[in-house]
Amino acid sequence: MKVLLLGLLGLAALPAAAQGTRAELDCTPTRTEHVYDCVIRLARGGAPLAGVELSIGADMPSMPMAHNLKPVKAKPGKKPGDYEARLDLEMAGEWAVKLRLSGPVRDQLILHYEFDDKGARPAVRRSGTPPRK
Amino acid sequence: MDEYSVGVLTNIGLFSFLALSAYLLLIAGEMSFGQQAFFGVGAYTGGVLTAIYGVPLPLAALAAMASGALVAVLVGLPTLRLRGLYFAMATLAAAEMARILFELLHFQRRIGGELVGPDGTQGFRGIRWVFERGVEPLEYLAIVYGLLFIILVAFVRIERSHLGVTLRSIGADPELAASLGVNVNRLKLGVAAAAGALAALGGVLFAHHNTYIEPRNFDIMLGVHSLAYALIGGLGTAFGPLLGVLVDLGLLEGTRVFQGYRMIVFGGLVAVLLVFRPRGLLDERVVHWIHARAFKRA
Repeated sequence: MKVLLLGLLGLAALPAAAQGTRAELDCTPTRTEHVYDCVIRLARGGAPLAGVELSIGADMPSMPMAHNLKPVKAKPGKKPGDYEARLDLEMAGEWAVKLRLSGPVRDQLILHYEFDDKGARPAVRRSGTPPRK
Repeated sequence: MDEYSVGVLTNIGLFSFLALSAYLLLIAGEMSFGQQAFFGVGAYTGGVLTAIYGVPLPLAALAAMASGALVAVLVGLPTLRLRGLYFAMATLAAAEMARILFELLHFQRRIGGELVGPDGTQGFRGIRWVFERGVEPLEYLAIVYGLLFIILVAFVRIERSHLGVTLRSIGADPELAASLGVNVNRLKLGVAAAAGALAALGGVLFAHHNTYIEPRNFDIMLGVHSLAYALIGGLGTAFGPLLGVLVDLGLLEGTRVFQGYRMIVFGGLVAVLLVFRPRGLLDERVVHWIHARAFKRA
């Protein structure tokens, strides 16, 4: 127990990393229902963010345990800062897409997108504005 | 271990706090559909403290537990006068009120050029205390299970103590327990506070695992699942709710081949299980049988 408490207290002494990665999704539906080919655009400090390892998972916000996507690795896309991945979702609707960056830049971002048969767009909540990226 | 397995195991650990919280009330004879509210209170309190005020997570977790206990007492004072289904309905209503309050909560500050804090239905981003300190998923998993182990040891000790026997007695027959001099109302309020603190601890760990929370994370689905964990796993021992979480999330993952229909398959399996084992897999009879066998061997 002492080791655990010391470990927890030790966490407080660790320095915090900087943040500021931006991301957006552009998804097109495939012939298979609820499967999308997505391009993820990453930027940091206004410049495209290339050369990172990116894994993508997803949850349905109201059912985080029941409907989720096993994380998939994205491969570099055609342009710098672009990454491509195929998302095999269980159903249409709003998904919280979790981007986990590792390698030269370590970060984690959550994007809310509404997926349907036309593709994906930023989810709009009751207040009428899409959530910030 | 791959990222996905670590994530699933972490979720099993995190929701075990909620399951134990529901279990604690169940052995005291109360069925709460509202433990997700205290999970949410813990998540929001801990998130605000670390993300906005830079409070270290261990202190934020303690504050979150205190706030969870306080809110549980405030909810318990009027609702614990009710019995059975009426109490269950009152806790559900209280939890929905809490979720709506989370939707109305706007408290953002600019930290490092980013707006951080609860933003109503838009959720609460940037709970990055754990992430920014470079804690790897496997290390976080160890922290979650370390805390869970401490809680389990406490449960086992309490269940073997006079307090544990008293708790089960008020769960079985509160009138009889009261006639023997037990202050049932005070004890139930204490149980509600402890259960609230426990759920809040799970909530603060959940928020820092996800780095993002929103009111919908704490809706009735989570409440139903938390009760299901305890009822599936069994009410004979504190290991029951943990087994319940394992079965619940294990079934959900195991029925992945059914894709969009797996919640229906899962629901059916849970219903069948509860028909045959109404007090769960590790009910009092099974626990008694295991104890008897263990002592016989010793």
